[in-house]
Amino acid sequence: MRLSLAALSGRAVRITGIRSQELNPGLRDFEASFIRLMDKVTNGSRIEINETGTTLYYQPGILLGGKIEHDCHPQRSIGYYLEALLCLAPFMKRPLKAILKGVTNDQTDPSVDTLKVTALPLMQRFGVDGEGLELKVIRRGMAPGGGDIYIYTDHMKGANSGKSPGFGLSLVAETINGTFLSAELASNPQGQGSPVLPEDLGQNCAKLLLEEVYRGGCVDSINQSLALLYMALGQQDVSKVQIGPLSPYTIEFLRHLKSFFQIVFKIEAQPMEEQKGGDKVLMTCIGVGFSNISKTVT
Amino acid sequence: MEDGVNKAHHQRHSGPKAARKKQRRLNGLGVGDEEDPRKRNPKAFTVQSAVRMAKTFHRAQDLKTKKHHIPVVDRTPLEPPPIVVVVVGPPKVGKSTLIRCLIRNFTKQKLTDIRGPVTIITGKKRRLSIIECGNDLNSMIDLAKVADLVLMLTDASFGFEMETFEFLNICQVHGFPKIMGVLTHLDTFKNNKQLRKTKKRLKHRFWTEVYQGAKLFYLSGMVHGEYQKQEIHNLGRFISVMKFRPLVWQMAHPYLLADRMEDLTNPEDVRKNRKCDRKVSMYGYLRGTYLRKSSQVHLPGVGDFTVNEAGFLPDPCPLPQQQKKRSLHEKERLIYAPMSGVGGIVYDKDAVYIDLGGSHAHRAEEEEQRPSHELVQSLFATHSTIDTKMASSKVSLFMDSKPLASEELDESGYKMAQEEKLFDPESGRVRRKAVFDGDGDDDEEMTENEEEEDDTASEDEAESEEEVDSRSQVDGGKEMSPWPLKVLKLEEKEAEVAVERPAFADADDDLEMDSEAELTDEEENESGDEEHDLSHDSEKAIVLSGDKTSKEESRLKTDLQKPMTGEQKEKEPTLNLEVDSADDDSTVDLTSPGISESKAPNPESSDIEEQKDDYKEKISLSLETTGGLKWKEGLAQRAADVFKQQSALNLQKLVYGAVSEEKDEDEEGDILGGIFHVSRPDTESKKKGNGLDSSIFPVKNPHDWDMEEAMNSVRDCFVTGKWESDKDATTLLGEDDEVYGAFEDLETGEVHTGKPGELKQDSEGGEEDDSGDPRGTEEDEEQTKRLDKKRKLKEMFNAEYDDGEGTYFHDLKEEMQKQAQLNRAEFDDQDDETRVQYEGFRPGMYIRVEIDNVPFEFVANFDSCYPLILGGLGTSEGNIGYLQMRLKKHRWHKKILKTRDPLVFSLGWRRFQTIPLYYIEDHNGRHRLLKYTPEHMHCSATIWGPITPQGTGFFAISPVADTSKGFRIAATGVVLDLDKSVTIVKKLKLVGFPFKIYKNTAFIKGMFNSALEVAKFENASIRSVSGIRGQLKKALRTPEGAFRASFEDKLLMSDIVFMRTWFPVSVPKLYNPVTSLLQPSSERGTWTGMRTVGQLKHDLGIKTKPTKDSLYKPIAREVKHFNPLYIPKMLQRALPFKSKPKNQEKLVGAPLDRQRVAVIKSSHERKISALLSALSTVNAYKVKKQHRKEHQQHKVFLVQKRKQQEDKIKRQKEARKKIYRMLGQKEKRKMKSSLKGHEEA
Repeated sequence: MRLSLAALSGRAVRITGIRSQELNPGLRDFEASFIRLMDKVTNGSRIEINETGTTLYYQPGILLGGKIEHDCHPQRSIGYYLEALLCLAPFMKRPLKAILKGVTNDQTDPSVDTLKVTALPLMQRFGVDGEGLELKVIRRGMAPGGGDIYIYTDHMKGANSGKSPGFGLSLVAETINGTFLSAELASNPQGQGSPVLPEDLGQNCAKLLLEEVYRGGCVDSINQSLALLYMALGQQDVSKVQIGPLSPYTIEFLRHLKSFFQIVFKIEAQPMEEQKGGDKVLMTCIGVGFSNISKTVT
Repeated sequence: MEDGVNKAHHQRHSGPKAARKKQRRLNGLGVGDEEDPRKRNPKAFTVQSAVRMAKTFHRAQDLKTKKHHIPVVDRTPLEPPPIVVVVVGPPKVGKSTLIRCLIRNFTKQKLTDIRGPVTIITGKKRRLSIIECGNDLNSMIDLAKVADLVLMLTDASFGFEMETFEFLNICQVHGFPKIMGVLTHLDTFKNNKQLRKTKKRLKHRFWTEVYQGAKLFYLSGMVHGEYQKQEIHNLGRFISVMKFRPLVWQMAHPYLLADRMEDLTNPEDVRKNRKCDRKVSMYGYLRGTYLRKSSQVHLPGVGDFTVNEAGFLPDPCPLPQQQKKRSLHEKERLIYAPMSGVGGIVYDKDAVYIDLGGSHAHRAEEEEQRPSHELVQSLFATHSTIDTKMASSKVSLFMDSKPLASEELDESGYKMAQEEKLFDPESGRVRRKAVFDGDGDDDEEMTENEEEEDDTASEDEAESEEEVDSRSQVDGGKEMSPWPLKVLKLEEKEAEVAVERPAFADADDDLEMDSEAELTDEEENESGDEEHDLSHDSEKAIVLSGDKTSKEESRLKTDLQKPMTGEQKEKEPTLNLEVDSADDDSTVDLTSPGISESKAPNPESSDIEEQKDDYKEKISLSLETTGGLKWKEGLAQRAADVFKQQSALNLQKLVYGAVSEEKDEDEEGDILGGIFHVSRPDTESKKKGNGLDSSIFPVKNPHDWDMEEAMNSVRDCFVTGKWESDKDATTLLGEDDEVYGAFEDLETGEVHTGKPGELKQDSEGGEEDDSGDPRGTEEDEEQTKRLDKKRKLKEMFNAEYDDGEGTYFHDLKEEMQKQAQLNRAEFDDQDDETRVQYEGFRPGMYIRVEIDNVPFEFVANFDSCYPLILGGLGTSEGNIGYLQMRLKKHRWHKKILKTRDPLVFSLGWRRFQTIPLYYIEDHNGRHRLLKYTPEHMHCSATIWGPITPQGTGFFAISPVADTSKGFRIAATGVVLDLDKSVTIVKKLKLVGFPFKIYKNTAFIKGMFNSALEVAKFENASIRSVSGIRGQLKKALRTPEGAFRASFEDKLLMSDIVFMRTWFPVSVPKLYNPVTSLLQPSSERGTWTGMRTVGQLKHDLGIKTKPTKDSLYKPIAREVKHFNPLYIPKMLQRALPFKSKPKNQEKLVGAPLDRQRVAVIKSSHERKISALLSALSTVNAYKVKKQHRKEHQQHKVFLVQKRKQQEDKIKRQKEARKKIYRMLGQKEKRKMKSSLKGHEEA
């Protein structure tokens, strides 16, 4: 995430002490893969990693875009990579067409489907629009998604279903204003942990969605950071968004935003109303008036 | 006349009466002569041609839309910064005089020496910052970038000068500010007609440069060395009503036209190393857009810096408060020109000192020094930290008065001082007296002055305190007392800062009233403090928050005392101060323990959750505090109001304060002992940096959704929830036990059947359950629904009716308007401290910016006559990279520009020297390097320079250009792209020679050095000079680098073969900012930087060595020697006799070289000769014919002649015959007679 912000702000980043205390120090494979992806979408970036992989120096280049193809590391699902790409995509020199290969659903990251139904409408709200704006799941990586009646159903068979069996569920709630809240759950991967009953999974997932509804807000917890990023990079006007409680990821992200763009959000807690779910947070900021400096003008 | 018949009545047929009558009649018929011919004769004005009508309509619409600009959000602040008026013109044209006259016109003040910008108030809503632009190109460039209005002075007796046009071009490139021309020296014209002519000529020239109808002012003669009062007044009116267009660059960047500059370097450092880098602070109105703290700035003429610190100060030249009167009060006509030294005011870091003339006031001032000396010593080490805090506020000392809110202080105190410095020298010279007219203040001042006197007892009486300051600054090495008074003040402010809590002003009052701080209040205090620190400066916030957390942890184990001591350690300087001043300052004393103590009770609010060091927990904690702070309930009403805000602050702190908090924790852990060190950072940092970077919100303590309470909490989030009327949901749910059942009911229930898509919940069983609804509510609902519908309809109608011309443009404009309102309203109710934290410093504020590591030359060579600008940089504009730009040589520049010749560019805020490469794009997209810029065409250029957004204009000047060299602007253009990969190529021809030639194949050597090189170019196309095309086939073994190639035709050994290749060119990485402000002012015009190769060679006297091939040599032509033709004997034998050489030799008369040379005619000659021969043929024919004819005639003639001859002869014969006959007869007769006679005889 810091790398993608660095790419946007054009500031060089040095990250030191990456897991220097652990048994297995240095960058993980999926992080290395992510760095490689960053290298692919940019031009002229300089990346230096020391031998043990505990120090990373990243000097961003120009966001290039275009057609890229990337093999994502199976440790993390595509959502991990996709989130960063969604942040960067509107600021590329050329329209980005990225083909990501990897795990579509897993238990740590938001799945592709969730991002598809929640993040893309959000982007459209911010004026990121166009014919080409779409996410297509060509093949399932880890597991075919099992759905329910109201829910996006996608059952892939044969080769499209990938190599390892599994199932997952993502639930999406749409508000009358057209914003989306989502929750999801995936089964344990093959050979790990105890097998999960699909019924239990479904029920747990529904509970998660209720939790999400309880938190409320215009943006669901997964996309909080994306919305805040767009707000921060917007024109030099006041932007406001009401979201549920800040997720740790978002908090970390807000700090990054401060260090990279000197943007401080005004955070106001909205007290809980009767039977309207949990506390909300009203985030207000003034954009930096960011302009896409990679784009060519004629 | 008695019975005469009455005269018959004659009706009038002419005259006015008849006309009137006729008119009346016609009007009665309805065909009177109407004024309007359209009415009189409507048929003549009907549509004649539909096409024409369409055209007129179209044109009208075109003209209408042409007036539209793209609407932009109006981001001008409520109190805009003063308008920058730049007075520009060649020397001796009357710039300073004009400024002086304008200032006098607006403020009735006479300034003698004008240096730097002069800010004056010209109206109830307008202020001007007037600055003079010298004739130096660097200042012109810098000022053109910040100017709102340019007064362009021209000496009419001389006409326009080059500088004028140069300045206009600079303006054009960097966005065109308003330009108003002023003609001076008009009194030199004696002849009125000539004057008029000159005026007209100059006006039209000015119009072509600016725009048609641009305002040009005429300042006729001078009166007593000043312009005529009325004319200046008119000019002032024009300036003060002028409207301005927002300029793109200016609106997108914060900038500062510095009023004054101060060197804040530690004198000790300066003493140790005179050339050490300096710490400098600059003051001025912020313009453009928001400036965020610690952003990057550029000082044109110095370089790039990061803002070390910034703070806002009270406006030194505030607009008048009440707007009731028509005109400005005399006292409101303020003037502010620190560098010009208006009214003997000298500025210190955060205070204004007024040079006093009065005797007793002066004495009082001197007495103040002593206690401050002690304080200063105690505080000396911590000077900088206090500094940072003090930057934003400005107060004076009060030993025993109760502290005032900062706003009050600022407003009353500062403004008054301003007024005094100008108008009230008698009564109000004393700063503090004027500000707060109370006895206590005076006393305090007295004591201060006393102290001061002791310290500087040896000082001359006449010396004012600021003089002392400045001297000590300069000396630097002296043991003590740089800024004695100032530091004292800082401490005071420190104390006040601790007290001041803008958000909880009333609570503070309470605290002050009851000397025993209650436990509850303390908690509040603490949070207030924290909040305040946050807003004040981050450093402090770090310290405080760190303390707090550490204390929280340690409290569980250790006693209360420990965090206290830790706190005290941190706050040592402050506490010292308190101890020192404890006897006379009770308020400070009281509050600061409050701060330190307040740490203790805080952990009460933190529950068990806190011990898990997890983010999630923290969040829940913070949220919990909003609801769970039970101890607060007993408080007064206002506490509840405060409460909401506080929770927000907690959140804020959680997000922005926590990072530093953790760091501090780690440090603390080190200090305290091994326990912390091992346990704490582990989990924390793991979570932070090394943990899973996942955006999913982990649910640690999920609600039990099977419980009904949990369900109730979200019930109203759904469309089925309690939205319009209260009735339905609760009653329904009351009957249902099962949770999911409730949803099912609602889903299919009465209210929202129309929108099933909204609810993604599972709904299988659709049990209807309407029974719970009473009739009455339903009717009510119906009623409200109907009303709603009506209202909506009405709104729709209104919208339609009002927006008859509601175009897209109008909508857009309205939207922008809304946004502007939102922008203004959002932070309006907050005080400046908080606002600055969120939005940065907003334009219009008077701010102070501190910058570190400024080269010492900047201070040493500071000249206040040169503009000092602080231009803020956007994100990634501080980086350096490759820029692609479209460029055109200026048509007035004498020379074309050469690739790789360094030029000085003015781009964005910066002026820098760099090496451009010119190129042009070929049809196939190739970027071909050009050696020179085209004469009258755009080309592209790539430079290595600062990243600047696309579309930014720039221009280039030749670095060695001096004034004598004509037009100095070499090129203008615009940035197109910022691609880091450069793709400029230049042509490279590889040459080879054939060494073996077969039919169409040839072996060629000399083009490459190795087979590997050849392999790289396999299948490349090659060509011979004579135009035979071919292809490179394969490398040969020997000689090295030779290859086989095939051609379309047979080569000759004398042919040269070449291959055309493209070689990428790298852009030289030269970025050399023009550091004109670092030079002594005498040398500023002559900055050259890197010289061009030509210049270098010229300077060093190096001649260019030409290549040998291009030198001229005498042409030596060998005499051609031909060998004799040799015919073998066998052949000779076979030859026919005639052709045998020995006979041949005899045949040849003349030797070969004596023979006439064959003439080969050109086609024209051939034509001529053909024509000639044709003509001669014709002629010959004619002649021949003539001949024949003549011959014929001659024949006839001859025949005739012969005939005549014959006739003649015949006649002669006959005549002769006749004669002979006669003669014969005569003879006969004679004879006869003789005979007879003889006979007779």
